Amino acid sequence: MSTAEDSISHGNQTAKAFTLTSALWFAFATTFGMIAAGYLVAPDFMANIEYIQFGRMRPMHVNAVLFGFVTPGLLAAAFYYLPRLMKTRLYSEKLGVFSAVFWNLTVAAGMVGVSMGYSQGREYAELPWVVDILVVISFSLVIANFLLTIRRRTEPILYVSIWYAAAAVVLTACTYCLGNVIWKPDTGALAGIPDAILLWFYGHNVFGLLLSPMALGVAYYVLPIATRSPLYSHTLSLLGFWSLIVVYTHIGTHHLLQVPVPTWLKTISIVDSVAMVIPVMVFLINIWYTVKGKLGDVHADIGAKFVFTGTIYYFFVNIQGSMMALPDVQRITHYNNWVVAHAHIGVLGFAGVTALGGLYFILPRITGKPLHSTFLADLQYWLVLIGITGFGIVLTIVGLIQGQAWYNGETLYRTLPEIQPYYITRLSLGILIMTGAYIGLYNVIRSLYFNRGATS
Amino acid sequence: MYFPYFITYMAVGFAISLAVFLWALDRGQFRDQRRARFLPLEGTPAPPPAKLSRKGRIEAGGLFALACCGLAASASVIVFALTHGR
Repeated sequence: MSTAEDSISHGNQTAKAFTLTSALWFAFATTFGMIAAGYLVAPDFMANIEYIQFGRMRPMHVNAVLFGFVTPGLLAAAFYYLPRLMKTRLYSEKLGVFSAVFWNLTVAAGMVGVSMGYSQGREYAELPWVVDILVVISFSLVIANFLLTIRRRTEPILYVSIWYAAAAVVLTACTYCLGNVIWKPDTGALAGIPDAILLWFYGHNVFGLLLSPMALGVAYYVLPIATRSPLYSHTLSLLGFWSLIVVYTHIGTHHLLQVPVPTWLKTISIVDSVAMVIPVMVFLINIWYTVKGKLGDVHADIGAKFVFTGTIYYFFVNIQGSMMALPDVQRITHYNNWVVAHAHIGVLGFAGVTALGGLYFILPRITGKPLHSTFLADLQYWLVLIGITGFGIVLTIVGLIQGQAWYNGETLYRTLPEIQPYYITRLSLGILIMTGAYIGLYNVIRSLYFNRGATS
Repeated sequence: MYFPYFITYMAVGFAISLAVFLWALDRGQFRDQRRARFLPLEGTPAPPPAKLSRKGRIEAGGLFALACCGLAASASVIVFALTHGR
């Protein structure tokens, strides 16, 4: 590596630690998801083991994906690109490694807690209060490292990726406290409708103000480098950033259009949901124009290939999201598997795939050696791509069947035989994604610690 | 009383956003946007070239077989469930 690079990298220990964290929890999280999907095909499947029954497995899957796999994957890339974009060292590699270790203990504590039945019973906010505190501390450690690195930068201009990464961790720390009603340790909840409102601010913002901005930051960094092209427009990217911050913070209530929430709140959420088209299209136009005519370069870099695929899923999930916020559409699409399809496309198809791209992009750079196996990374790409595309199709079909049935007054049990083949297909597609996760874990471990490739 | 929490959330978010935006404006973050486009490309090290060893190829083959097992397991779940599931 060059001397300039040496002066910045300082071993890249933090990026390595978060890379391993992400790969490890991806394997665990997909295993949890597989077990949960098994219950939907065969309800008695392992149901006599209380620690892994469906009611515990699902929140374990969701929280492991969210805090174990996707967020650390995107953080690994951020800890790599922040010092380089600001031409300085990370404020503290020791603090970074400590935060990664602390992060893992937090996620593990959450999994153990939920599996033992210590759940707050609120969707996406199930983690018990003690773990909530640990999550906030984890984010605080990352925030400190980010902000102090920004303070000591030698490059005066903050590239858009830095804006996204810093905003994501700061806003999520605030949203997490509020959404988890952290000031009420006994219940972690308010009562009635106010609790639902707070919960869905958190539920939606943990995606929109954590995973989305972190993933966009990675895309804005990886794709210009992979294609050796300057960003199409930095001004446009900042417009997208600020519009996302303004618009995304208020849309959580679109999950509650069919419950007695104040109408003005519903209206804000619908209008802002539709307005999300602005930051999304700003990003996509900007990034697609950046790589225009250079798709060969994107294809040649496995990291960039993942990230570019993530941008395509970002398009689909956001167009879908804006439509789903419309009350007339939601009459059919809400309270059924359409939403599950949407969540999987967003969290795995967009943010997860982008996180994987970030990992594969930085791995050769943080180790100074080539990826252990580009073939295995490519294999993982196709397994995940086929799996998530299949998920999207199958669960959307199930959602439409269920939505039409509810709309026409059909009872629940009469739809079950009709949707069973789709649940079976979903389980089989889940096996592909889980296989990809374990192959990825192997590839990451070999690339990090047992890599015999030539040093650059 | 639902709104104090929501109003507080919106107000805090707005205040933080506004303060940061004004800081950015004051520090010239919206100037020199042409140079900002090139920031990722400055001083970026190229990754080392890939190298394949015989052992690596055998390992890759083994894991490819594992992936095939995954595919086969997926297919068998579908076939079994459709033929014996009812």
